[in-house]
Amino acid sequence: MIGTEQPIIELKKVSKRYARDILALDEVDLKISKGEFVFLTGPSGAGKSTLLKLLYLAERPTAGSINIEGLDLSGLSRSQIPQLRRKVGVIFQDFKLLYNRSVFENVALSLEVLGFKREQLTKRVKQVIEGVGLGDKLYRKVIQLSGGEQQRVAIARAVVNRPPIILADEPTGNLDRKRTREVVALMDELNARGATIVFATHDETLFRNTHRRVILLEKGKIKED
Amino acid sequence: MPFGIILKRAFRDIRQNLVTHLMTTLVVVLTCLIFVFFNLFSINLQRIADHFGKELAIIVYLKKDVSQEKVPVLYQKIVSIKGIKEVKFVSSEDAFKRLERYFSNEREILAGVDPTFLPPAFEIQIDKALYNPNRVKEIAKEISKWNEVDKVQYGKEWVDRLENFSKMVRTALIFCAALLLVTAAFVVSNTIKLTVYARQDEIEIMRLVGATNGFIMGPYLVASLLQGLLGSGAAVALAFLAYSYLIRAFGNSSFWESLHLQFLPAENIISIVVVSGLFCMLGTAMALRRFLKL
Repeated sequence: MIGTEQPIIELKKVSKRYARDILALDEVDLKISKGEFVFLTGPSGAGKSTLLKLLYLAERPTAGSINIEGLDLSGLSRSQIPQLRRKVGVIFQDFKLLYNRSVFENVALSLEVLGFKREQLTKRVKQVIEGVGLGDKLYRKVIQLSGGEQQRVAIARAVVNRPPIILADEPTGNLDRKRTREVVALMDELNARGATIVFATHDETLFRNTHRRVILLEKGKIKED
Repeated sequence: MPFGIILKRAFRDIRQNLVTHLMTTLVVVLTCLIFVFFNLFSINLQRIADHFGKELAIIVYLKKDVSQEKVPVLYQKIVSIKGIKEVKFVSSEDAFKRLERYFSNEREILAGVDPTFLPPAFEIQIDKALYNPNRVKEIAKEISKWNEVDKVQYGKEWVDRLENFSKMVRTALIFCAALLLVTAAFVVSNTIKLTVYARQDEIEIMRLVGATNGFIMGPYLVASLLQGLLGSGAAVALAFLAYSYLIRAFGNSSFWESLHLQFLPAENIISIVVVSGLFCMLGTAMALRRFLKL
């Protein structure tokens, strides 16, 4: 899906400093339109993960302002953070799953926090799990799944509440070629349904020869867009 | 979030982490058990002290020259004092008769002795319901000021000792209760902290998918309230079983009966259970604060 002009994510002069000599992001200006599929790339330590963390408020910027869906993140109190996170589905490189819980329970968590009724929740969760190809492993514990399957559980959890924005932090970092292609195809499908996707990866083959927007980060600055 | 959902999640959570929850409850049981036994001991010690104190009587010896007409007047004066249950007049003759009875096998000892050599006296029993060692002292002091009175005896040393003992028990109780409470607080809150630390990944994940602090904390608080209530309830039940066993085993002996033991009063049991439940909830909330960055 091609993005419209209205920015859903906007960063103005955003910097993030961890210590006096560690500048992870340096005055980054960025606009991402609604419905866009953006690849965020760059070498390790370029600031990709930091940028994503700022977008779901796992970190606060040292300077600058971030706006998501018209929401100024700098003015957001701790108690308002859950409201933002419900709009942003995050796929983590290390999956962040509850390994002693079932596939169903992990995915259902995103809907439980929204207070979904049991019947509605069950229907939606089953539908999404089937969508990522794990319909036959619904009640299997996550620890019993392969790395690729676990990644798909993480994707299902990130999208089950239909967030308008999906942030993926190296979602294919631990996967083989075949599984990587499957994940990218899934992301394409979600984007086609209207979700804005920010896909952080250092794997150039994923966006080479595609018409997608690619943002290259280096030493905390945008080098190419 | 509706309370029903919190309850559902709490019970699911207890089912899934049954061993951890049981261990925490066990710590609560043991801590409360120490407290309950201590409470039981101190309450009964106080009861024994009070009981023996209530048995004390005041004896008012009158001057020998007090006329017979004055006796009813003095009787009325004594009876009108608050806290007095029974007053008995013992004339010189009655006192002599008692002495004769005492020496019934050696009557010759009293041969030739004037039957009125003993002073007349009033024997006063204190009302048990209004008993307290200070009151006994006050009554004795008041009566001793009267002109007709020669001497007042009330087991002063006994009362003083009893009073000191009661004070000591009360001070020890307050001190030990405070110490136990601090120890219990430390043990229980650390056990809860360990439980919460073990699940910090889960808490982090819930936060990342947009859970509010209330959503995260709710089931933990419900589970810890249950741990506190069940743990303290079980401790009281165990203490009661031990108490009942002792009563059954030794309750028939006259010494045991004279102690007039009793189990914890209802208000103490309710206080222990309620405070324990609230305390566990508070400990959990404190442990969660770190992860929820409240």
